[in-house]
Amino acid sequence: MTNLPALDSPYWDAEYETMARDRLRDLQFELLTETIAFAYEHSALTREAWDEARIVPTDIRDWHDFTDKVPFLDKDAQRRFRDERNDPYGGVLCRDPAELTAINSTSGTTGDPTLVPELWGGGFVGRPAIMYRDFWGMGVRPGDHFALFLFTFRGPTYGFVQQLGAIPMLFDYDVSEIERLLRRSIEYRPTALYNFGGTMINATAEIAAAAGIDPRDAFSSYRSVVFAGEPLGARARALADEWGMPLFEHSNVGDVTACFECTAHDGMHFWEDMAYVEGIDPMALDHHDAQPITGNRVRCELVATALTNRVAPLVRFRSDDLVEIDRTPCTCGRTHARIWTIGRKGDEVVVDGVSVLPVDVWDAVESVDACRLGLFQVVRPQRAVDTLHVRVGYQDTPESRLGALRDDVTNAIAQATGVEPNIELVPNAALLRLGPPHKIPRVTKR
Amino acid sequence: MSLWGIGQWIDDRGVRRTWEVGSDEINRAIGAAPNVLAGIGLERGARVLYCSMLSEAAQFWPLVVGAMLRGAQLSCADATAAEAPRIAMFTRQLDYHAVLGVTPELLDGLDELGHPYHEIFGPTPVVGARPGAYERLVAAGLKPHHFVLVGPAVALATEPGGPAIVDEHEWHLDAEPDGVVAVTSRRDRSTRFDHTRTAITASIPSPDRLTPTPAR
Repeated sequence: MTNLPALDSPYWDAEYETMARDRLRDLQFELLTETIAFAYEHSALTREAWDEARIVPTDIRDWHDFTDKVPFLDKDAQRRFRDERNDPYGGVLCRDPAELTAINSTSGTTGDPTLVPELWGGGFVGRPAIMYRDFWGMGVRPGDHFALFLFTFRGPTYGFVQQLGAIPMLFDYDVSEIERLLRRSIEYRPTALYNFGGTMINATAEIAAAAGIDPRDAFSSYRSVVFAGEPLGARARALADEWGMPLFEHSNVGDVTACFECTAHDGMHFWEDMAYVEGIDPMALDHHDAQPITGNRVRCELVATALTNRVAPLVRFRSDDLVEIDRTPCTCGRTHARIWTIGRKGDEVVVDGVSVLPVDVWDAVESVDACRLGLFQVVRPQRAVDTLHVRVGYQDTPESRLGALRDDVTNAIAQATGVEPNIELVPNAALLRLGPPHKIPRVTKR
Repeated sequence: MSLWGIGQWIDDRGVRRTWEVGSDEINRAIGAAPNVLAGIGLERGARVLYCSMLSEAAQFWPLVVGAMLRGAQLSCADATAAEAPRIAMFTRQLDYHAVLGVTPELLDGLDELGHPYHEIFGPTPVVGARPGAYERLVAAGLKPHHFVLVGPAVALATEPGGPAIVDEHEWHLDAEPDGVVAVTSRRDRSTRFDHTRTAITASIPSPDRLTPTPAR
């Protein structure tokens, strides 16, 4: 266990979490200078991009140089490098592969999973931040039980729970584990649950009813229930409210770091001593063309640079994620910026000039009882389409009722988006097999 | 006794039973794991891919750390049908000395993708397959090792077709009259096991070895 803060402290690392922004900015530039020198020397993809841009790390003397001169990287560039150079790490690995402890992978929800090289106990500089600061802030304390409801592809995640002095309770990220989670929650009274999203919350209602368990009792000890990966639909949010679940949203920040809501529930903090995050005009062609978007809570595309990663740091990674960012201090007392996720730029479908993102059809799908798990895919062969094609999962419906169900879903989505959709109904189980467990690709080409 | 965590094991009725795991016992398992992995020839610089579920972390964590202690590299994937593309991606892009914990569900996923087993596992020297998956790999012409979660205990064969072996200092195995394997803990544990019936049926040539019959 690392040195723990005072139990009544709301902060894991008060000095860093509440650091004045001008000092934080200086710290970031110090870390940035080290990172770009390291990445330029060791990352073949970064070196290639910088050589093409005719710059070297010593050309970057201030923030203006950085935004003006440094080219963007993106996932396509990594995949291209991987395929052309036969480099499984897409040109970003900065270590001798023999030094690595583990090679895990991204979720693969939006394409091929890509490899994530890891060096345990030496892959990062800087102070413990992500997860530690977040869960301590949510109220996890030594001796607590902490329910982990997760997959394993990101490697053994339970170590951070033990570093907080808590005891992990281990569950598979699967609907079939919900009853066990509810029963063990009543038995052990854990204070944190990570990760329990909309599909799981929706499924809990029926599972709890069938098992004779009151979800309000089962969730009564939790100080935080974290969901990630997808927004919560209206139905799941209503159930969570009814059961008194203290929800906290969590998301990825450009494959560089992650962000969590704090107790103020006003955006998700990312730790700026770990990552430098920029907002740019989503339509920008390249770094010469990119207009910085610095206003608070203005829609922009997220670009992230790792500041502490010393295994495979990404520099100016253009994420394709549409977000809003706010850099004003939070009422929780932390000075680090907050983020709101909107969707992926590549997920937008334009039908007769009307822009539709998955989040726009979500509540409509869930509002139809047979589709209450909110499983759907927007079929997007290209950005502009003649018809909005949505593949929607259903349950508990005989074949003779499918026509009426299709009409119900069509009407709900048309009302929500203003676009008459073409609905393809498929059983929930068929959709659930398409992605990581219970997190399906929300947009698909076919 | 301080707790490392709360995992689960599966009993003879297929029910997941709560398993409180002490820090001392997990540390003993970590201490033993490098030798277990040496038994399948995992050397410094080699790679191992673990196919498991988070609920099985108490069984797999010692093997994860054991790989690290041997200087080997590890990868992780869920042992489900939906993870078949990830397993295929890993084995296509990287060379593994061992893939441990292969389940029937994972093979179902490979079947759906149309990936022949020999294409995915053929180049891997050691494929540790669980009951139900083992027989399918043998039928496909591969030579897997038995890999068995005997309730809380992990058993791994050191050679294809050979019996799977548990840590004799920690566990004692018995076959019940109906073929069910019962497990007894030999040392202090947060949760004591005393002739506890597991989900595994097998023959028991000696108290630390078993040759499974297909899963129940």
